[in-house]
Amino acid sequence: MIDNVIKILMIFPLVLCVLMLMVRKRAFDKFALIFYSILHFILSSYLVFFAEKTGAKQVLSGQYFAVDSLNKIFLIILSFVFLAVTIYNIGYSRHMDRLNIKVNNKNLCLYELMIIVFVWAMTGAIFCTDLGIAWVLVEATTLSSAYLIYFNRTKNSIEAAWKYVFMCSIGIALAFVGIIFLNIASLDVNTLNYTKLTEAAQAGVFDTFWLKFAFVFILFGFGAKMGLAPMHFWLPDAHSESPSPVSALLSATLLNSAFLVILRVFNILNAANCSGYGRIMLAVTGFLSLFVTAVFIYHIKNYKRMLAYSSIENMGILAIGTALGGVGYLAVILHLIGHSLAKASFFLASGNILELYETKNIKSVKGLMRADKKTGWLWLLSFLAICAFPTSVLFISEFLIIKTLILKGHYLACSVFALLLTVIIYGMARAVIKMTYREISGEKQDIIEKNRNKITLSMYLPQVVMLAVVFVLGVYIPNFLNDIIQAAFGAF
Amino acid sequence: MEHGFIILFGLTMLYLASTSRIISHIRVLAVQGILLFLICFLGHREAPLLSLTFLTVETLVVKAIIIPWFLYKILRKTRENRDEEANIPHFYCLVISSIILLGCFLASNYYISSVKNISHIYFGIAAATIIISLWLITIKHKIVSNVIEFITMENGIFLMSLSVAKEMPVLVNLGVLLDVFIAVYILGLFVKEIKKEFKDLEVSNLSGLKDYTE
Repeated sequence: MIDNVIKILMIFPLVLCVLMLMVRKRAFDKFALIFYSILHFILSSYLVFFAEKTGAKQVLSGQYFAVDSLNKIFLIILSFVFLAVTIYNIGYSRHMDRLNIKVNNKNLCLYELMIIVFVWAMTGAIFCTDLGIAWVLVEATTLSSAYLIYFNRTKNSIEAAWKYVFMCSIGIALAFVGIIFLNIASLDVNTLNYTKLTEAAQAGVFDTFWLKFAFVFILFGFGAKMGLAPMHFWLPDAHSESPSPVSALLSATLLNSAFLVILRVFNILNAANCSGYGRIMLAVTGFLSLFVTAVFIYHIKNYKRMLAYSSIENMGILAIGTALGGVGYLAVILHLIGHSLAKASFFLASGNILELYETKNIKSVKGLMRADKKTGWLWLLSFLAICAFPTSVLFISEFLIIKTLILKGHYLACSVFALLLTVIIYGMARAVIKMTYREISGEKQDIIEKNRNKITLSMYLPQVVMLAVVFVLGVYIPNFLNDIIQAAFGAF
Repeated sequence: MEHGFIILFGLTMLYLASTSRIISHIRVLAVQGILLFLICFLGHREAPLLSLTFLTVETLVVKAIIIPWFLYKILRKTRENRDEEANIPHFYCLVISSIILLGCFLASNYYISSVKNISHIYFGIAAATIIISLWLITIKHKIVSNVIEFITMENGIFLMSLSVAKEMPVLVNLGVLLDVFIAVYILGLFVKEIKKEFKDLEVSNLSGLKDYTE
């Protein structure tokens, strides 16, 4: 049964894409996207919550695709965010024609199709049990999302898309060099299957020099995709220039799928008893990400870029949590859930602002609460969720990381961590508060009045649900989710 | 026999570093594709027939025919024939590339030859190709040149994957080649769009998105 469900999730989207190419009707495309997101959510929920709970690490072992305790959490996040984004997209796509006159009907048809291919590639990368296939699918996410980033057909969007494809492809190509080194390191074991590689690592067959060398390349390659500094340069451009639902998907799900691959390889390093080296590398990139965000966030003039930098920061926190180990892993899982939902909500709320004000400039957006109270509150609450204001689940994860840093005696690292987070939160708060309150200027008032009817119920609802989950999880984690989190924690 | 082809492959990188006409760069790509096909065919004759056929035919078709042909078409459409204003004169490019090639060759001869599973001549040339390509990407001014160097880097990586005695699964090889092909296709489409938006193909055009200006 599980095997069949995975097959459906991997094959059905491709069939759907062929159908969409044949039918070529807007209504059908929209229906296909909604149908796929609902199906994805139902099947993923089945796999995550209802499939047999054997307690073993590997629930199902297909040759290339499987569900295990670690990827379950990634799968359910992807599915949930995808569903939310699709609901948002119902309202958003109604006004897409007005967004840019250059976007003609043919391109609009490809919009939904590419989202489906993009989500398919991410789902595959999450299910994957083989490093080689994971590489292929992660590169496929780059290629399918390139079109979505270039969707608005402006000078800026082509620059963003070019940088994205070029930098990520080079990054991923270097990750393949890492995979070749891993192949060299594994001496007589000829496989790229994570489980087999981990077993081989435990048995001590690995050449640790080449394994460490491989990890550097894989961390930098997939780290480029994950948005870790210093390989993050594509991220603010791509996130700010793509349509808001796509930005939400990029930030809340794409970065996670690259992180999963890094985690898997880190686990192999762990099994081969040379994780100390990997931890240092992760901690360095993590702190560098926080530093880069802290330096840039204060001067940012574009609010979508601000959110993108916040993603870099949160990826840095994930890297630091992984580097710490122990309770840090639990923090990583909670942070992953919290960041994905809160950031998706933040990006979708920014989509509403862009619709209302027709600008991405922070200075031109004033009096959001007066312009649209609901969007104003969503914007503010998303900010509170992302800056770890209790009871956001991010509060718990960041608290756990600080606690672990202190318990392990890394006092200097702890102070730097806290200091950088404070600078980042101050930088973001300054922009968010300025945008939310103050008086709206006269000319903007007319634009807002004109655009007010563009924002429909479906453009509020997903954010409300996601924020509710983030704030509730901070005080109460239901049993069914707790089981998944504990299982993932055990799989590290 | 295949060692001769590998050395020829290394020399094509020197040619790439020392010329400015983009059409000759594309010819180099086609030559590299054919060399890779020959290396793959001669070096892996003992591999299973199906996987060998897949790999060699794919290499020949994608790397030696389709990609160069596609780039040639783009070149004709965009009419950008030369990349003359590289940051460093061609003579120095040639010298630096030769030093990289020699360095990688010597390093792999001295250090890698003791490692089991790796053929050091493959490894040295592959590493040199990757490093020279990455370096050329940073100094060239035209977008098309960047795409060409991206492909030579991928060729280097392919050669490196051949250097390991163990076979990559066919599915992985297939996927990698497909991805590279689609990446080149997408970059090619973007080159055309960039030409439309900016009128010329200078990399410096693509620096509008910054944090400190709006």
